[in-house]
Amino acid sequence: MSDIDNKTILELRNLRKSYPSAEGAPLEVIRLRQFELGAGEQTALVGQSGSGKSTLLNLIAGILLPDEGEILVNGTDLTELSEVARDRFRAANIGYVFQSFNLLQGFTALENVLLGQMFGSGNGGADRAVELLNKVGLGHRLHHKPRALSVGEQQRVAIARALVNAPPLVLADEPTGSLDSKNGAAVLELLQRICADGKHTLLLVTHDPQVMGSFKKVVRLEELQ
Amino acid sequence: MNLVKIVTKNMRQRALATWLTGASVMLGVALVVAILLIKQGVQQRFEQGTLGYEMVVGAKGSPLQLVLNTVYNLDISPGNISWKLFEQLRDDKRVKLAVPFSVGDNYKGFRIVGTTDAFFKDFEFEPGRKPELAAGRVFNFSEGALRSAFREAEERAREREARERGEEVKPAPVPEHVEHPFEAVVGSRVAQETGLTVGQKFIAAHGVQPSAEAKEHTENPWTVVGVLQPTHTAVDRAIYINLDSFYHIEGHELRAPGAQAKEEKPAAEEEKDTDPDPGQVSSIVLKLRSPITAFGLYREINDREDAQAAFPAAEIRKLFDIVGNIDRLLLAQAVLILVVAGVAIAVSIYNSMSERRREIAILRALGARRGTIFSIVLLEAVTICLFGAVAGLAVGHLAVALANGALYRASGFVIPAFHIQPLEWYVLGVAVILGAVSGLGPAVGAYRTDVAKNLAPTS
Repeated sequence: MSDIDNKTILELRNLRKSYPSAEGAPLEVIRLRQFELGAGEQTALVGQSGSGKSTLLNLIAGILLPDEGEILVNGTDLTELSEVARDRFRAANIGYVFQSFNLLQGFTALENVLLGQMFGSGNGGADRAVELLNKVGLGHRLHHKPRALSVGEQQRVAIARALVNAPPLVLADEPTGSLDSKNGAAVLELLQRICADGKHTLLLVTHDPQVMGSFKKVVRLEELQ
Repeated sequence: MNLVKIVTKNMRQRALATWLTGASVMLGVALVVAILLIKQGVQQRFEQGTLGYEMVVGAKGSPLQLVLNTVYNLDISPGNISWKLFEQLRDDKRVKLAVPFSVGDNYKGFRIVGTTDAFFKDFEFEPGRKPELAAGRVFNFSEGALRSAFREAEERAREREARERGEEVKPAPVPEHVEHPFEAVVGSRVAQETGLTVGQKFIAAHGVQPSAEAKEHTENPWTVVGVLQPTHTAVDRAIYINLDSFYHIEGHELRAPGAQAKEEKPAAEEEKDTDPDPGQVSSIVLKLRSPITAFGLYREINDREDAQAAFPAAEIRKLFDIVGNIDRLLLAQAVLILVVAGVAIAVSIYNSMSERRREIAILRALGARRGTIFSIVLLEAVTICLFGAVAGLAVGHLAVALANGALYRASGFVIPAFHIQPLEWYVLGVAVILGAVSGLGPAVGAYRTDVAKNLAPTS
């Protein structure tokens, strides 16, 4: 094993997260003892619908804070950071790919990728964004707005955006959920290949057996409790 | 990629709302600017118009009416004063120049003003500016002809009175013959509007305002002998005739000094006693040798029963003090429009918030801080206001420039439409503050956006 493989990129310890419920008693959505991901590792996280997979990704991204526990990304405990510091950390260290792409409709493909760069390191400038869009096969559609792109192309733009700051950790929340099987397979293959090439750690949430099948490591959320 | 680009994109994405809210700001600012420009321009021109008219003397009545009538060729004359008073003032050591004016007729709405050649030779309507000819010459004037005209006018008045009493009227002996040349010098605006040129004749109508029933002096057509250069003052809107020809006209009988003009009070009591020197004029403009003696002379004239003196500059200031309240009311309305525009911006951004929340959540997920999101929304409101305000400044100036034609026709002067006033920078500042205030609510809403909730797939 190389040094990269030895380095822990994500570590979750004794994580608990609950939401207030209509009945009054808090509804616990996350209870997790221990979870680790090494550098460059690609893992599928599966769980039943409503099991808290997306909440877990939002916790790892520092968008939400746990009620208890520690979230260490690349050695930094997000729970210890202020909100502003978490935002800054997320921009530089975490790439996020969503099921519904979440591209800004008024911006072109290139501008959407540049937006990711704006809040992150900003390294590489427009060249890096163009390079990534070329890498995802959209070099000829740089200046097209999302509405002019197919859903598969939109998700590829989202992948380029997630990777523009070369984050050590990439989170993907059902990235093929809005795509047909052909497009889904292509996008998944692309995501895995780019993450492997860039040695980005990938944590992908899915409930699609086909997607699970393409990962060597599959973790069930229920097993982590 | 930067904040300004994000804001610009947001505005373009909601182009219709951006244009409409920006246009409402533009309307408010344009109104404010137009009101400020017109108020300041009119006041400046009115005040400038009084510069050459140090003191005006006329019949008892409203001093403002006297000033408006004499200086601006507006309103009607409060009445007549005696020629003797003119002579007294002309010969007074404190007076440098006295110019008489008589009004009573018009041509196509332009006032006909009887005066002497001193108006062209010695009178400066503004310091250093005398009426100058663009074509032709000044009318002929002689004081002998004027006295003859006064006597004729007095004789006609007696004959008319006698006829009214039912007495037999003997034709009056024809006074010693003096030539009464019916010559006129027309202002530039008159020439432009009526097409009068040197050598043309025209028929005047009785009264200072045009009226269908007004008697036309068909028996005495005037000949244009000169056309004046534009002065951008009330001089442009007047026709100047020699004073003697004015009193040679049928209907220009002499009245009791101080009595109201005939067209206003037909029953006014007329002078009945024989007067060896019966001349009258509507008003006299005085230039004084020293401002120190001005108030003494002013008091002396106002102590008389048959005349009043007025300082045009003071009267105009008083007028604008009164009109100032209307200006403030108009300004308040314009500011209200601006406030409504601000509310419209806030409502527009609020209405788009459901759509924006997802975009905000995306930006936050990409690492944008709450403060950045707050700034984007605030900057958008401020930008709309700022662009609206800049467009409003341009439109306000343009509107005044377009209105200048009508203003010139009505008043004889124009407002410097493209002169930027210092107050306009404050208007821009107010627009920025308005934008910030109207954007504050939506910006706080954006700041508080729940990221996780708004990132979830919509379908």
